Amino acid sequence: MLVDFGLITRAQKGDAAAFNEIVTAYRKRILGTITRLIARPEDVEDVAQEVFLRLYFSLDQLRKEEVFEPWLYRLTVNAAYDYLRKQRRRQEYRMSDLSEQQVMLADAMAGGKAEQDDQHHKKVREAVDSLLGSVSEADRILLMLKEVEGLSLKELEKVYNVNENALKVRLFRARQRVLKAFGSAEKKEGAG
Amino acid sequence: MRGNDDEKLDALFGAYRAACGNPDASANFMPNLWARIESRQSFTFSFRRMANAFATAAVALSLLLGIYMAVPNLTNQTVANQSYVEALAEASTPDPQAFVDPVTLELADRTTR
Repeated sequence: MLVDFGLITRAQKGDAAAFNEIVTAYRKRILGTITRLIARPEDVEDVAQEVFLRLYFSLDQLRKEEVFEPWLYRLTVNAAYDYLRKQRRRQEYRMSDLSEQQVMLADAMAGGKAEQDDQHHKKVREAVDSLLGSVSEADRILLMLKEVEGLSLKELEKVYNVNENALKVRLFRARQRVLKAFGSAEKKEGAG
Repeated sequence: MRGNDDEKLDALFGAYRAACGNPDASANFMPNLWARIESRQSFTFSFRRMANAFATAAVALSLLLGIYMAVPNLTNQTVANQSYVEALAEASTPDPQAFVDPVTLELADRTTR
């Protein structure tokens, strides 16, 4: 855990400085998770602020130290779901926006090795995003939390409030779907 | 058993983790967050104030309604104090003469004939 429970207790009593410390400790990690979950860099901060806003107003419900991080992840996942749901409703997900981001990313790239690294990272991101795009939103978020964020099954149990066996089944099925998409992508690449 | 694709996928996820990293927040992150918290708090406060006002109005209305319902009961107290049977008896008392008067037979005419 990045903060001690004393800090959380102080924040629960309304200490703004303590809450600021909690946000500062977790914001980078939360921003990273949201970046991978929603795939729209311009909205990442907005969603992260929503997560911490929800944390602020529900902090007094927290009783046990060990559930803080899974709970924060649950708030993050829920905020990401809400955002994606709104996006779907607005139907704003346009390919032109993506290419605009890519242009911006390309503009920001420096020369030499850094550029090569960035190109490689970009390729990897695109490959994984496209793979995870072939499964449902729920599967994508679950796999992201397990495989990329590195959450253990115990932590995921607390995030999703389901038992380990159900979680294992869901993970297995989600992974199988991604593997299938991965296999066909490889075949396509091999043929092309 | 884990296949070759499984290992490749794990490696890809690992590379993805390294490629994404965790972005830094902008300088406005904390001020914007506190602005949102304060705006939500003021909304909650005004909502609570409105709810309190509504609750007070509801209590006052209930009291008024209670008083209104009690007033007609006070004026008809005599009626209310009677039992149903008493009220019924009072409303439809038969003429007592009808039962008390003796039956008179007009026998005089027959004997004189």
